[in-house]
Amino acid sequence: MSGRAAWAVGAGLVLALVAGIVVVLGVGSVGVPTGEVVAVVARRLRLIDGEGVTVLADRIVWDLRMPRAIGAAAVGACLALCGVVLQSLTRNELADPYLLGLSSGAAVGAVAAIVFGVTLTGLTQGAVVAVCAFAGALAALVLVLALATGRSGQLPPGRTILAGVAVGQLCGAFTSLAIMVFGERDVARQVLAWTLGSFGGIRWGAAALLAALALVATLALVWCARALDAFAFGEVSARSLGVDVDRMRWGLLVGCALITAGTVAAVGPIGFVGLTVPHIVRLIVGPGHAALLPLSGLAGAVLLLLADTAARSLASSEIPVGVVTAAIGAPVLVVLLRRQAGRS
Amino acid sequence: MRLPRLPLMIGPVAVLALGACAGAPSPGGGATAQPSAGATPVTVTNCGRKVTVSTPPRKAVTMNQGATEVALALGLEKQMVGTAYLDDKVPAVWQAAYSSVPVLAEKYPTKEKFLAAGPDFAYASYESAFSAKGVGERAELAKEGVNTYLSPFGCTEQGHAKGKVTFEKVWGEVADVARIFGVPERAQKLADTQKNQLETLKKASAGRGTRVFWFDSGDTTAFAGGGAGGPQLILDAVGATNVFADIDKGWADMPWEKVVAADPQVIVLADASWSTAASKIAHLEGDPVLKNLAAVKAKRYVTIPFSESTPGVRLVDGATHVAEQIAKLPTS
Repeated sequence: MSGRAAWAVGAGLVLALVAGIVVVLGVGSVGVPTGEVVAVVARRLRLIDGEGVTVLADRIVWDLRMPRAIGAAAVGACLALCGVVLQSLTRNELADPYLLGLSSGAAVGAVAAIVFGVTLTGLTQGAVVAVCAFAGALAALVLVLALATGRSGQLPPGRTILAGVAVGQLCGAFTSLAIMVFGERDVARQVLAWTLGSFGGIRWGAAALLAALALVATLALVWCARALDAFAFGEVSARSLGVDVDRMRWGLLVGCALITAGTVAAVGPIGFVGLTVPHIVRLIVGPGHAALLPLSGLAGAVLLLLADTAARSLASSEIPVGVVTAAIGAPVLVVLLRRQAGRS
Repeated sequence: MRLPRLPLMIGPVAVLALGACAGAPSPGGGATAQPSAGATPVTVTNCGRKVTVSTPPRKAVTMNQGATEVALALGLEKQMVGTAYLDDKVPAVWQAAYSSVPVLAEKYPTKEKFLAAGPDFAYASYESAFSAKGVGERAELAKEGVNTYLSPFGCTEQGHAKGKVTFEKVWGEVADVARIFGVPERAQKLADTQKNQLETLKKASAGRGTRVFWFDSGDTTAFAGGGAGGPQLILDAVGATNVFADIDKGWADMPWEKVVAADPQVIVLADASWSTAASKIAHLEGDPVLKNLAAVKAKRYVTIPFSESTPGVRLVDGATHVAEQIAKLPTS
């Protein structure tokens, strides 16, 4: 796709994201009139005095919905970007951000925190679970890298994936043991809720951290676009193009793992975004990473923003967001695949 | 490799902009209740938190069956603005009161729905109610002006509820809640009535000398009533012996061979919408090994609703129903 067309798609996605955040503030399980939504935001931005803004509307729109919207967009961008990078690095179309046993490692941490009642002074229960989940994800990452690294320091994609599978199975076993043998009845439900992912606990603190993470991720990964293009032709070609293959691969893998671990710690594992958004965007703009990376980030942000809004508004209880991402993304991918099959 | 300049510029600007936002609006006039003259604040220590209520709550939300039933048993429906997450139907005696309070959700309501009901108090049986997946953590709710009470049976330490379930603890929870709502005499009345019921059951001792297997749910394993929860309390009240009394949990997954080895004389079935008594009976009678159990062959089954087996105000009713049914069983 030509550069200009890619810019057009990009501009469209940015518009969709901004409009999406604005619209989403007015949608939820409690009806808040549009006028009041606008008044709340305008008052907070010091544009109007906002005498008539109620505490309830302010709480709902500014303290609950706004951080969730920002957090969802940030996590969507992170997951999509990491998905692109991992699919290119491992040259495997089925790679997703949780490849290196990250989601299972994080689950071990979260389950341990929930089942064994870990507490840390000064932190809320939600923050404790997040910290333990992050620690678990890092532990799994270290284990996978240790298993997969060859004696010469190389990290072959095939072995990396298998190591990820092995560690994932180990973590899954621990998780099941903790729930079934050690946990009481209600605990199983809490753990299941965590493994399905949710933005319900995102307030401004977490949203700001996630937004910063997304910004760092975008800058760092887009900076590597040329190197990732080189990887597409195999290691030897990449080396001949002047890319330091080993260092790039290590750096990208660990970087993506840290970004993904951050999102999993905050909101739990959310499937489908990192796997399919890269494919969908690749079908539209082609495989060049200079366009693919930023556009995937934007598309992932829009998708997860819409998914989280649906998850919190469709019923009076919350639907797990992973269910919604699958329900939205799968049909879109099918349509695109059929169109591509029709052309070739 | 050029660093994209546009995002680099947007970042700091956005951060600065956010810092310049206004604070929360002050509550409008009349939104907060003024303490009535002469009302003394009530302080209750609950699950490691001090809960101080200056006036009895007037807009309480109860979540989970246990908490809702305690509130209905104390006649607090006029001071409730919402209920959520019922497991079973509410007993007929409280049905009218229950219907007079709006149901916020079938499971936990979203935080938005919870706040929209305008609550000043939240009472739940399980810790998951006060988590990010429920209506928010207790500290966060306290900051929003909502006092909270969590059933002591739902407080977990190291992931386990502390200690065994006892009737005293049940009545203690009811007394706490009654004190918070300014009606301590109703809790006393409830406790006295239940103590009398227990006395009667003890005298009759309908289950004396009977070995009972408490079958809650499960098919590949038996999720059985153990020695530390509601089932044990009921079986103690009727004088029966729980074949799994040595298990130190309320309920636990037991392999079927242990059930066969224990050879129970009576099987109590907890009837729940997710695991009906009928389905359990079908499982027992369809299994080639289990159908040879003495209790299954003689059909010595006792059925009670699941909500009468969890720690709460209905345990005594559960014990009464179990005693009635055991007395009517054909002798094996």
